[in-house]
Amino acid sequence: MSTIIDGLSLGAIYALIALGYTMVYGIAKMLNFAHGDIIMVGAYALYSTLLLGQSPVVSVLAIIISIVACVVLGVVVERFAYRPLRGATPLAVLITAIGVSYMLQSIAQLIFKAKSRPVSFSIPGTTFGIHNSTILTLVVGTVVMVALTLFVNYTKTGRAMVAVSEDRAAAELMGINSNFIISLTFAIGSALAACAAIFYLMQIPLVNPTFGAMPGIKAFTAAVIGGIGSIPGAMIGGVLLGVVEKICLSIPAIAPYTTAIEFSCLIVILLVKPTGLLGRKRREKV
Amino acid sequence: MKRTFKKIVTAILAVAVLSTSVLTLASCGKDYTANNTAFVIGGSGPLTGDNASYGISVQNGAQLAVDQLNKGDMKFKLVMKDDEAAPENAKLNYNILYESGMQVSLGGVTSGAAEQFAKLADQDRVFTMTPSASADNVIKDMTASFRLCFGDPDQGYLAAEFIKEGGYKNIGAIYNVSDSYSSGIYQAFKSKMAELGLTYIEKTFDEENSTDFTTQAEALKDCDIIFMPFYYTEASLFAKAIVMKNSDAVLFGCDGFDGIKDLIDGVDNKIMYITPFDINSDDQQTKDFVAAYRAKYNMDPDQFAADAYDVVMVLAKALKEAGITDYTISPSEICELLIDKVTSEGFSYDGLTGKMTWDKSGACSKEPNIVELN
Amino acid sequence: MKSYFSNIKSNFKLKHYINYIAVGVALVLLTVFYYSGILKRSSADLITQMGFSIILAVSLNLVVGFLGELSLGHAGFMCVGAYIGAYLTNAISSAIPSKILVLIIAVIVGGLSASVFGFIVGLPALRLKGDYLAIVTLAFGEIVRNICKNLPFFGGALGLSTTPYGPSMFIPTFIILLIMLAVVQNLVRSKHGRAITAIRDNEIAAKSMGINVTYYKLFVFVISAFFAGVAGVIYGGFTTPILYSFFSYNYSIEILVMVVLGGMGSIGGSIISATVLTYINFVLQTKLSGDLAALKYLFYAIILIALVIYRNAPSLKKYREKFNLSNLINMIIKKFSKKEREEVGTVEWDRVPTKISTDEILSADFTVTNYKPDKPDKPDKSERP
Repeated sequence: MSTIIDGLSLGAIYALIALGYTMVYGIAKMLNFAHGDIIMVGAYALYSTLLLGQSPVVSVLAIIISIVACVVLGVVVERFAYRPLRGATPLAVLITAIGVSYMLQSIAQLIFKAKSRPVSFSIPGTTFGIHNSTILTLVVGTVVMVALTLFVNYTKTGRAMVAVSEDRAAAELMGINSNFIISLTFAIGSALAACAAIFYLMQIPLVNPTFGAMPGIKAFTAAVIGGIGSIPGAMIGGVLLGVVEKICLSIPAIAPYTTAIEFSCLIVILLVKPTGLLGRKRREKV
Repeated sequence: MKRTFKKIVTAILAVAVLSTSVLTLASCGKDYTANNTAFVIGGSGPLTGDNASYGISVQNGAQLAVDQLNKGDMKFKLVMKDDEAAPENAKLNYNILYESGMQVSLGGVTSGAAEQFAKLADQDRVFTMTPSASADNVIKDMTASFRLCFGDPDQGYLAAEFIKEGGYKNIGAIYNVSDSYSSGIYQAFKSKMAELGLTYIEKTFDEENSTDFTTQAEALKDCDIIFMPFYYTEASLFAKAIVMKNSDAVLFGCDGFDGIKDLIDGVDNKIMYITPFDINSDDQQTKDFVAAYRAKYNMDPDQFAADAYDVVMVLAKALKEAGITDYTISPSEICELLIDKVTSEGFSYDGLTGKMTWDKSGACSKEPNIVELN
Repeated sequence: MKSYFSNIKSNFKLKHYINYIAVGVALVLLTVFYYSGILKRSSADLITQMGFSIILAVSLNLVVGFLGELSLGHAGFMCVGAYIGAYLTNAISSAIPSKILVLIIAVIVGGLSASVFGFIVGLPALRLKGDYLAIVTLAFGEIVRNICKNLPFFGGALGLSTTPYGPSMFIPTFIILLIMLAVVQNLVRSKHGRAITAIRDNEIAAKSMGINVTYYKLFVFVISAFFAGVAGVIYGGFTTPILYSFFSYNYSIEILVMVVLGGMGSIGGSIISATVLTYINFVLQTKLSGDLAALKYLFYAIILIALVIYRNAPSLKKYREKFNLSNLINMIIKKFSKKEREEVGTVEWDRVPTKISTDEILSADFTVTNYKPDKPDKPDKSERP
């Protein structure tokens, strides 16, 4: 049972990251490989602020600074690295994203050095035998996802996002500022990454320059399982992957093959449903 | 026709790139050490990437030793290259170092890279003493390859004996299957435990899943002692996971635990580990080293730094006792002299990590001590 | 017989052979340099690295550039080849004295076993498209790596130790490279190659023309995996121990970068970009030691971003047309030869523009919205009857 709960909480973190991938993909049609490194920047922002001292005020401040730093970074990266390539081939954008990822990692190493830095940022104590941090992750994760779904479906800006992802040219003709919408998407995706960073740090109290790489790639997998471009899909994919990972790890015989099993799940799901669990089928025409 | 020409010119450019790379690097003589003005110590370690902290510690420790030695008569120069813990980069680094006049070497820092480095060095007869690569393959079947740290199996045997002596009932063990250091120690531990007739619960994790230990902690929470042969970053994460499960098990580790102290606030469990280097030791030499290291790098030295410092000091001592004073001496000449010196009866070095002697196999023998935290 | 040769002679076009000539000349020159002792060992090793990078880039180009499927698991095939090749080398090197023979056997077996995996990965490619296929190939690469790591006879975490070949390894590498170029270029220029590019440009149209899409897709994956496996065997002979960590998706992406920068569907481009990128890496590695090592990826990243933006940004199109390599070359050529406008009249097979906007197809947007039918070249109005 506790394995399932742990899996759900890890899944919530994956889902938060996967949402960033999936929203950016849906709107900008690009795989943002630098997304994992935005998590890392969020974690370092949190770490740096926590150096000020240990008090509730500092903690709240740290959360705010972490989110703001990620949002600013996401928007800046979009403006200077991706926007010049709007309209170019998606592969070119993919490679720029990889370049950005390398750059963020090496800058982090230059500033903070390679050594892992400890971050103590969790809520002590347990409720019903479950650690409070885990519960908080689950609760906040669910709230954020519900809020995001409501935002996208029931606000004007949210609808504009959907419109841009459907057909950018048509959306522009309807008076939507697509550049603004894309920047906004990156901002929201990065804010979610910051949230993920904070929850991830509650479980793993260490941050180093490659902090974001593994959760990043797993969350990407989760986004694809759910159907890339679909917001509820990312949530389902994330939770599924988190639970599978925890269950595999709890069985000694197959624990070393956890990564292989996770990726095999992906392949099997895609073979049965080629566009992921909730991805839209696209008709092919000549 | 135009396109043909374009292609020809492009191809010529391609060949030109190849040949420039050749010509810029070509040199006529084989005597790479002729222009040295100091003994050049080469080394290869991960200065970027996941394992960067080990490589950087080694570099810092070795540089500190070189700086101190340069105040004396003999001059040294340290050149450290980044290999990201990958063997093919270690190969590249070795060639570059050899061709830029390396005379003795620190070898590699991580086991895979160190094995590649040592194999090449052994062929060229370059004396290598690795500060930290503990796998068997690093010194196996190579006469010019030495090491200063414990070998992996030694620590496993020690740990099993220690647990037996302590009389613990419920024993647990967890190790990293994707890390050669961890599995090397664990295999020795396993065989020794079987020999001693002790049973225990075994858990594993691997590189991709080395951050989240809740499942393993769940399984091991009722143990009295948990043997954890892996590095301190993962160890601290495991410690926090086991605290979350309200366990009071003793956490018992190896020299990879060095550095864990900063990362375990909130962990009240007793932590013990085998280590040759204790930063809080009362030994005057250690105190001086720690003070100098803090002054220079603004952080605490770890065991890698201490090992690297000792390696440079051992090399200096051996060079001095072998009576080598010529900075332009070739690596192969130095190598034979140093092998004779280091393995000779009566050669020992009393450094930060204890009193050490070497035998022909290249392994180092020194006394382990066990440090307790909390 | 006579007509055969005269046929060859009259159809001889230098540009068909330019890649062989470039690689062949490089091989001969370098071999001479090596045996006369001018070539340093680090350079020889660098050239081996360039060699297997080129093999990887060209073989990936088959899948990405010619078949039009994005693959992020190329390092996985290389991993299979490297481990099996090295294992076999260890097993048979005591029985067979000739090192070359051992290498040849290892290359063939390593390549074949990688191509089996290529077949397995090719199967989902029949059902999946675009980014979904990309993530499946990435997943495959990670699965292979994970399994190789856990197999005890592959050395586990310690890696598989071998006895590497010496610096003269670059000679067999380049010979293999030449063979591969012959296979790949002839494949691409044959009717099979045209079928493959037809699938890339429009799968449904190709199918309706009677092209066996299933067969060709699997065929390309198998060939591509074979050569990636061969590159893996070379890697295994080049360095020791073989560690699973080398074959991560980061390396697959590095190969993809070579292909994209060289130009998709351009074999010469892949050769050049693989060479240049390996060289840049080498220079950064040589120049930056100690504390500066952390700058390596920073420089690499900046070069990468600048290059991609310069080559692809729509707003920089003007500059690109003004300052680029082919213009520069044209200028040089114009200076040297005045009469190059000739023999345009003959029917030229190779000018048929089969490279229709690969990237649009790769973008995985399979809605009809942004699909533009392949327009024929606009005929001159004056020519209209």
